[in-house]
Amino acid sequence: MSIYILPIIFIFVFCYAFCKKVNAYETFVKGAKKAIPLVVDIFPYIASIMIAVALLRASGITESLATLFSPLFNFLGIPSQLVELVFLRPFTGSGSYALLNDILLQYGADSYISRCACVILGCSETIFYVTAIYLSKTKIKKLLYAIPVALICSLVGSILACLLCKII
Amino acid sequence: MIIVSLVFLTIKNPSSILNEMLTSSASAFTLSLELCSVYVVWLGILEIVDASGLSEKIATLMRPLIKKIFKVDDPITQQLIAMNLSANMLGLGNASTPLAIKAINHMDTGNQTASFPIIMLIVINATSIQLLPTTIIALREKAGSLSSADIVLPTLITTVFTTILAIILVNLFSKIYNWRKK
Repeated sequence: MSIYILPIIFIFVFCYAFCKKVNAYETFVKGAKKAIPLVVDIFPYIASIMIAVALLRASGITESLATLFSPLFNFLGIPSQLVELVFLRPFTGSGSYALLNDILLQYGADSYISRCACVILGCSETIFYVTAIYLSKTKIKKLLYAIPVALICSLVGSILACLLCKII
Repeated sequence: MIIVSLVFLTIKNPSSILNEMLTSSASAFTLSLELCSVYVVWLGILEIVDASGLSEKIATLMRPLIKKIFKVDDPITQQLIAMNLSANMLGLGNASTPLAIKAINHMDTGNQTASFPIIMLIVINATSIQLLPTTIIALREKAGSLSSADIVLPTLITTVFTTILAIILVNLFSKIYNWRKK
């Protein structure tokens, strides 16, 4: 089912544009032109965040944090095998997908642990990375409560995910 | 955080620091190139969506909800937020990022402190409702799952719940913040 969604959207968009007499080719080129300046703008942010995450992972801090917080997370219903994933997720998208893949292969794709991991990843976002990129063109320095609220919601989501996977 | 990791690394393996930094900046560069090609496709498609008036249609559908949640009155901002949220729901993270950047630039007043709608957009993007977690389903299938789509329902329930929670919490925190400022 899901593989047909994108093609259907594309066909619909082009048909709609055709009906509205929009020159699809020229408009596409016009939009595509904006891609390079956008990437040039956000590249320094991507690079800085990725360097910080690499240092964080290489230093073993995420692992030690995971071990440290594991009893608390167990109490909240998150299995120990998934604690590192919960910690890594706000920082790195590629890193957490790589970790998900390891979990899937290690515990089997249909096991409880793997299903939880999938739902946790599906309901969360690389909060730090995304925020840095979103604000790259503004002067905003103070985010007030945005990051804490986002992190709380992700944690609640992870707890709920582990609960729901037991029932459904 | 960075200083702590640097200190840790200096104790454990001092020669690896520069190496780690260079490797990750190299992978940031390849990622940016990949993103650039992805954005070419999506920004092209989105331009057509814009020019054909389709994004206005989507925005009109979602306008009452957006007005209530984000408390913004500017129609262009509402439209950008509507597009960002719809891309997010379909699991098209790569299409939603440029839209979010545009929306935030539209809401930006040059202040150093983030305003209510900007915070709301960031938090809602962080919890975003997922109708179809496409990448995750594909990964599961590759790992030999027999029912790769059975995570769709729990994911949907969880994201709906966390999104509602996010909206409530942002409202609550902004009230506390305004009250303390007084």
